[in-house]
Amino acid sequence: MILVLVVVTALGFDFTNGFHDTANAMATSIATRALQPKTAVLLSGALNLVGAFLSVQVALTVTNAVVKIQNSNGTPKPALLVDGGSALLLIVLAGLVGGIVWNLLTWLLGLPSSSSHALFGGLIGATIAGLGWAGVNWNGNGTKLDGVVGKVILPAVLSPVIAGVVAAVGTWLIYKVVVGVAQRFTDNGFRWGQIGSASLVSLAHGTNDAQKTMGVITLALIAAGDWHDTKAIPIWVKICCALAIAAGTYLGGWRIIRTLGKGLVEIAPPQGLAAESASAAVILASSQLGFALSTTHVATGSILGTGVGKPGALVRWRVAGRMVAAWLITLPAAAVVGAVMWWIGHLIGGFAGALVVFVILLGLAGYMYLRSRRKPIDHNNVNDEWDDVPTPAAVPAGAAS
Amino acid sequence: MHNLQFALEGAWKVLLAGLILGAGLPVLFALGIRSLAYGAGGEAEVHESGVTGPTAHPIGTVVGWLCFAIVLLGAVLGIVYVVATGFGYALSFTHVYPTIVKH
Repeated sequence: MILVLVVVTALGFDFTNGFHDTANAMATSIATRALQPKTAVLLSGALNLVGAFLSVQVALTVTNAVVKIQNSNGTPKPALLVDGGSALLLIVLAGLVGGIVWNLLTWLLGLPSSSSHALFGGLIGATIAGLGWAGVNWNGNGTKLDGVVGKVILPAVLSPVIAGVVAAVGTWLIYKVVVGVAQRFTDNGFRWGQIGSASLVSLAHGTNDAQKTMGVITLALIAAGDWHDTKAIPIWVKICCALAIAAGTYLGGWRIIRTLGKGLVEIAPPQGLAAESASAAVILASSQLGFALSTTHVATGSILGTGVGKPGALVRWRVAGRMVAAWLITLPAAAVVGAVMWWIGHLIGGFAGALVVFVILLGLAGYMYLRSRRKPIDHNNVNDEWDDVPTPAAVPAGAAS
Repeated sequence: MHNLQFALEGAWKVLLAGLILGAGLPVLFALGIRSLAYGAGGEAEVHESGVTGPTAHPIGTVVGWLCFAIVLLGAVLGIVYVVATGFGYALSFTHVYPTIVKH
């Protein structure tokens, strides 16, 4: 029965992953009006759906990068399997709850934080609570880029910088090239380029991120003894995950889209093209080289870079600073939630414990949803001027500034 | 510190690929737009108001679409890469031109 809760929670995480990350691909296209907001999220959702189905490679070992609850071939550690795998299921459930809660909170604040960091953070916290510090794969074994440091922290530091440099160089050159061409002519052309490059980012996102949830669900199924093949993922898991991430993307995290598209930099179509191309290239090149990274960090770095690269562009460094602060605390914060959830579930014990954790999640999610209704941001006002409209539901006074 | 070393080794490759594809293709796209404007002449190019714009140059249109074709090819390669990886294949550049190989 715990398994059902884990699967539902995992799909919930996948859903928040989708709407949290719509902005990565589509914020710039929406901001420059290359696409209508509704069209943009529809396109991105559809491409995420396609992308999720393309990811047939087995992502079963997804948790191995940060925690030691699986063997290297993907099967769960035997010690966690006594009693129908409930020890492992509780860790995974608590970790997922940590990831979702943090994703929703940052969404409420309009901050683009990394969904992968939220998931890893939650899992790390739940693992520390359940298995102790030694349960976490901090630094890998020295043969390749691995562990919390190698798979999470270093890429998080490097990837926004790389994406930013690429986008800045691209933007600067583009503006040099089109000197002397009428602006209306260039803007129209670049809008097409933007749509193309943003689509590529959406596709890559679906391929990368849906896989993580598929891996987690399959791990839970194996732990509960309902699935035995470590080389394949059940087809219904694949379909559910693809639908969840696509639905989330279509719903659109408008608060985050607004921050990325309007808050950080005032984006013109040439910058949008430069930013999305940089994101797409860096994401694809990194996964080719086995360099794990967060789409969010790359997209944010690119947008900042494109602001730096255009002479005279306005970059709101305060907004950028708040984002970086959110990145820094994403992992620990999600870890704390994950750990607390594990303790609650463990103290109550059994199915009742898991159920209580699940109910707490529903409660917190409902509360944050209600809070968001006070100052709704949706497809109608996503492009309003940043400075005229007080955005403060997004930023309670004094928080994080 | 082995992780830092691995990360930096990967980072410069990503930066290089990013600059070529992520900045190079958009710049080519911009060149295409510029050529199209040169090809179209008239209102597509900045000129003094009150007078007719520069005359059209058909060669610009040709070069412009050529640029777009190369950019499109780059984007298609990107998609092929994503799809191929998903099905357990990899895009190999060992022969300079891309080929699809089994992992």
